[in-house]
Amino acid sequence: MNEFLLPLLFLCGLMAPLAISAVTGDQRVELWLDRVVRGAFALSSVCVLVLMLVQVAVVILRSVFSISFIWLQESTLYLFGAMFLLSSGALLLTEGHVRVDIFYGKLTAQQRHMVDLAGMVLFVLPVSALIILVSWNYVMTSWAQLERSQEASGIHAVFLMKSMIPAFATLLILAAELRIIDLIRRLRTAE
Amino acid sequence: MMDQVILCLCACATWLDIAMVIALCALILSGLPVAFTLAGTALLFALIGLAMGVLDVTFITEPYPIRIFGIIKNQVLLAVPLFVLMGVILERAKLAEELLETTARLFGPMPGGLGIGVMLVGALLAASTGIVGATVVTMGLLSLPTMLKRGYSPALSSGSIAAAGTLGQVIPPSIVLILLGDVMSNAYQEAQISQGIFSPEPISVGDLFAGALIPGFLLVGIYLAYLGVIALIRPQMSPAVPSEDRYSLQEGLSAAIKTLPAPLLLIVAVLGSILTGAATATEASAIGAVGAALIAGSKKAIASGRARQLAIAGIAAAIVLILLVGQFDLRLGREAALPDQIAIVLALLATAVLAAGTLASVWSLWKDCLWDVLQRTTEVTSMVFTILIGAALFSLVFRGLGGDDTVASALEAAPGGVVGALLAVMVVMFVLGFFLDFIEITLVVVPLVAPPLLMAGVDPVWLGVLMAVNLQTSFLTPPFGFALFYLRGVAPPEVPTTAIYKGAMPFVGIQIAMLIILAFWPDLATWLPERIYG
Repeated sequence: MNEFLLPLLFLCGLMAPLAISAVTGDQRVELWLDRVVRGAFALSSVCVLVLMLVQVAVVILRSVFSISFIWLQESTLYLFGAMFLLSSGALLLTEGHVRVDIFYGKLTAQQRHMVDLAGMVLFVLPVSALIILVSWNYVMTSWAQLERSQEASGIHAVFLMKSMIPAFATLLILAAELRIIDLIRRLRTAE
Repeated sequence: MMDQVILCLCACATWLDIAMVIALCALILSGLPVAFTLAGTALLFALIGLAMGVLDVTFITEPYPIRIFGIIKNQVLLAVPLFVLMGVILERAKLAEELLETTARLFGPMPGGLGIGVMLVGALLAASTGIVGATVVTMGLLSLPTMLKRGYSPALSSGSIAAAGTLGQVIPPSIVLILLGDVMSNAYQEAQISQGIFSPEPISVGDLFAGALIPGFLLVGIYLAYLGVIALIRPQMSPAVPSEDRYSLQEGLSAAIKTLPAPLLLIVAVLGSILTGAATATEASAIGAVGAALIAGSKKAIASGRARQLAIAGIAAAIVLILLVGQFDLRLGREAALPDQIAIVLALLATAVLAAGTLASVWSLWKDCLWDVLQRTTEVTSMVFTILIGAALFSLVFRGLGGDDTVASALEAAPGGVVGALLAVMVVMFVLGFFLDFIEITLVVVPLVAPPLLMAGVDPVWLGVLMAVNLQTSFLTPPFGFALFYLRGVAPPEVPTTAIYKGAMPFVGIQIAMLIILAFWPDLATWLPERIYG
């Protein structure tokens, strides 16, 4: 059980914004959550552009001049990982995650808020918590040995690449908290 | 009493995997985001399984982070964001509008010509963007009003637009085929290993692209033939453009020369580099994205002055580079003969021009819409991959509960052996296509059903192409087809929904005929990949 102590503490810490907001009602909490989540999304979007340029450079170097740099090739994986893992949280805020709206589309606004709230509390938070719990040791082991690339001339930061997995879950939790605060407010004001 | 409760629970335990699938369907229909519904359902049933002692916790805790890391490290999947980027850039560069205008000028004077033009543009857009929703919406907004104004029947116009839009799934390079290729190659390895073949034959996304090419073109051909026949036997449904609105042939041709070469060149470059084996799908996707940026950067509406000239020079440099690679040995760092040395210098120059042109295009786009393009690309990619992460947990738990055995034995029990099993899978996927997007079906259903089918000796490329055409049919079938929903969303209110349904039916018929043809002549799918990749 000891191995789960640290990640559990981390998770409790992650829930702090929700708790603070619930107790104090301070709007700055939302402002900061929003900044962090959207900041990560902006970073992801920049990664797309860099990914395109790097990948095409790899192609030209290899297919025209028969040169390949393993570090350049490996950097595309870092960019790719960052672009989809760090942006997922923001999609919760922009309704970017696809849903089937055969029935959802016919609900009233209030009913939709209820469904959304249930989704955040019952699915997004537990699933993100699970990802942090199960990836904790996996990532920590990698950090402990500062895991290197399997290729001698690769990028020796595999521990950073693996860290994006808990970062993905962390951003999801932060975005979910923001949504929960917002949804509860909407449900209350309507009453 | 207690014994009976335990006995009852044990009996339930064997049904947990099936209950899990039913719960998933119900929860997805409730309208929660699909990615988290997949993972959340999995978590719920993992807890139930643990409580009942039928699931080993190491089934999830150990492999799940490794699975997620495997997605990051997957070179093939890296093609998805770049192909999405290519599609979004072309969409913003108003490529579709220009193409539609051109074909209206070229084909308009012929009875049924406008419809044929729309179908051709649809096929071209499908090949260049590969996103079904985007193609249907774009074409619905641009060409549906034109067709109606020219006196086309609402049913025929909306049917051909929906059909043209769904071509994006089967005509490579398509996102569906990339995901399907990845899933299928894993399934194929698994099937071979469990048959005791320890150096399994791989299949690649390139195989699937090559396999889908002939069926895709055939489908376009039959669609066009159908439109031609309708124009002959029911001329009032697709009349020619009235003479006062006609353009001269000269005007039409000059418009075509201006707009057609760039997108055609791009598609030939992307598909050609994959099919000739010069590049992997991932490398081709980068070529496609940069090519799209160059095309956008050379448009008057987006760029001007020096930046536009640089972009045009970049396109020329890219062509020079392709020609040089075909003719000379350009490897650096060796004693090269004089012609090769000259070629190397030229290649270096061309590369420099290409780089400058690319940066100039990025600069022009930056001032226009680059940030929107990047954000849109990030959103689509992240949506797809979050589902992938959710589906990974779902399939781990499903297997932990013995679900793969259940699926395998259900398929074995299907009447009619392999054919019966295949038919059952196709029907199930078809029905699922009404409720789920292709991404969910590909990532959740295919990994479960493919290994037993492949073990029974079904060809993986053939199976993949069959599934792609099948899902395409499903998306076109009233009343639930996704393509029809998208079209309804953008069609003018005077087009009744029943007209859209009626118009889609003949195309659904053609699709089903295509499926039957494919089922009886697997060579249509397998011949080209075998010729290319041996």
